[in-house]
Amino acid sequence: MAAEAASGATLRRVGFGGITGSRGAFFACCGLLVVLLAVPSLHNGYIENLFRGVLMFATLSLGWNVIGGYTGYVSFGNVVFFGLGTYTTAMLWDKLHQQNIAIAIVTAMAVAAIFALVLGVPILRLRGHYFGIATLGIALATQEIIANIDWLGGGSGVTIRQIDNFSLYYYAMWAVCTASFLATFLIARSKLGYAFVAIRENEEAATILGVDPTRYKVLAWMISGMMAAAAGAVFAGANGFIDAPTAFATDDNVFPIVMAILGGVGTIAGPLVGALVLTAINETLWSHFPEIHTLFFGAVIVLVVLFLPRGILWLFKLRGGWRGFIASLKVYRV
Amino acid sequence: MELFFQDLVNGILAGGIFAVIALGFSLVWGIMNIINLAHGAFVMLGAYIAYVLFSAFHLDPFISIPIAFVLMFGFGYAVQRYVINFVVRAPMLTTFLLTFGLALLIVNVVLVIFHGDIKGITTSYSGANFTLGPVTVPWAKFLTLIAALAITVLMQLFMTRTKTGRAIRATSMDIGAAQLAGVRVAHIYAIVFGLGAGLAGAAGVLVSMSYSLQPSMGDPFIIKAFVVCVLGGLGSVEGALIGGLVYGILESFGSQWIGTGLQDAVALVVLLIVLVVRPRGIMGKATA
Repeated sequence: MAAEAASGATLRRVGFGGITGSRGAFFACCGLLVVLLAVPSLHNGYIENLFRGVLMFATLSLGWNVIGGYTGYVSFGNVVFFGLGTYTTAMLWDKLHQQNIAIAIVTAMAVAAIFALVLGVPILRLRGHYFGIATLGIALATQEIIANIDWLGGGSGVTIRQIDNFSLYYYAMWAVCTASFLATFLIARSKLGYAFVAIRENEEAATILGVDPTRYKVLAWMISGMMAAAAGAVFAGANGFIDAPTAFATDDNVFPIVMAILGGVGTIAGPLVGALVLTAINETLWSHFPEIHTLFFGAVIVLVVLFLPRGILWLFKLRGGWRGFIASLKVYRV
Repeated sequence: MELFFQDLVNGILAGGIFAVIALGFSLVWGIMNIINLAHGAFVMLGAYIAYVLFSAFHLDPFISIPIAFVLMFGFGYAVQRYVINFVVRAPMLTTFLLTFGLALLIVNVVLVIFHGDIKGITTSYSGANFTLGPVTVPWAKFLTLIAALAITVLMQLFMTRTKTGRAIRATSMDIGAAQLAGVRVAHIYAIVFGLGAGLAGAAGVLVSMSYSLQPSMGDPFIIKAFVVCVLGGLGSVEGALIGGLVYGILESFGSQWIGTGLQDAVALVVLLIVLVVRPRGIMGKATA
């Protein structure tokens, strides 16, 4: 037991060295975001779409990371905010003929914040698996309810007229992703971030130290939801069509979680790194094995969880080379 | 009133299958704290085992139940022993994603072998009904319910009367104390996961008689198993049975009164209310 506790402590120190994560990784990500700003000037539709996808998933992953990574409340239903965001854009066009992306983003964020506030108070009383299930239930129920409301397009969906300068959607997604990235950085450096992490590590102890858990948990969920909704608002416009299965897609629910884990849960750079690496893997598999690429993707998830449960970034901090790596694999074994 | 009784009976008939599906899910969750997202894929594998045995050897699905149970038990044992046991004490997110990846793998392997077209099992008694007062009961569904109840009773006997069953319950209460008493935890965990997979396989055979078969058929059952576990309370055999029946009835009335498109939403809203009002389930105990 003592050895276990010691190795656990070591892992924690290595894995979460200060809640902002690695400084080098942060600046590398800033550089990466600046480089990504140049993508539309390549005038290559495929590459622009691909990287808009990376930025979208990075945003969703950053959003999930606020509640699932920093606050430790593992949400399995964050796609609900993404879906609400897409429907906000769709309704702004369908009912008001409003195409402005900025208005769509702000409205979507407001919708998500209200949704998170109303449902967060009862739901965030639940812990662990129960919270996860409740969030999954909310996502599935919302999808089904929206699919049955004719005013919202019902089963046949809503077509959105796209703006003429298509690259604007890329820049909007870039802005949303960069804002989410910087917001995570600011949160992790502030009292807010420390309150989130305190709740994750020990909610009772955090309460005794004066952190109001309900307030901070709901706040974390609202921030998380606003990031996802902003990404959804831009996605809807770029996609040009929204129905319930597109807006609440399982991929948009699960990929961000896998990406956060792949990069490193509870770090600033992790979601961005994870989104980039996983999209690269997925795209390679897709182009080489179109028939069975989902099979390979399943295998990738299994391998990541078994061999990299603490993320890629953690590898850079690993001490002891191969021996240290193999020792780390045995920590969670029964 | 006739409609009411028909809905009630339909709900109970469907609930038996939900109970067996949830039984294995609840066992794995309650004892190892693993949300097994591959459980739906295991149900699908059970259904395909029944399909293969039926189309190749004309074996009646009810005879396939023990075969599917044994095959899936072995598969589940191996998966836990050689894969999941390596990360079983990691935070819940790890096992959650691991089983999600396994589900993707299994579903897509089946997709490659059997292709995506819809298959079904038609037995000689598939269309036969009997009437009970105002209510019509299909024989296949009635026998399925009987089989489901039998499986539940056998499971309860196994957990309470056998040495292995006691070792499983001991492990779930206090892993350290169980180890000191000579329980091999890695082996017991593998047995628990094997039982979960075996029950899913048996449930899959039952499912194959009322639902059409395709590789992704198991997915909806995962959320149903969640709801049943929450309704019935985690880790008890009778809880899974009662939760399954309650869920079946809820879904039956939900689709009748609110519409088939919204029947899952009804169940999920009930789930959310139960979670918030009574997080330990209807049958659950006051403390964990």
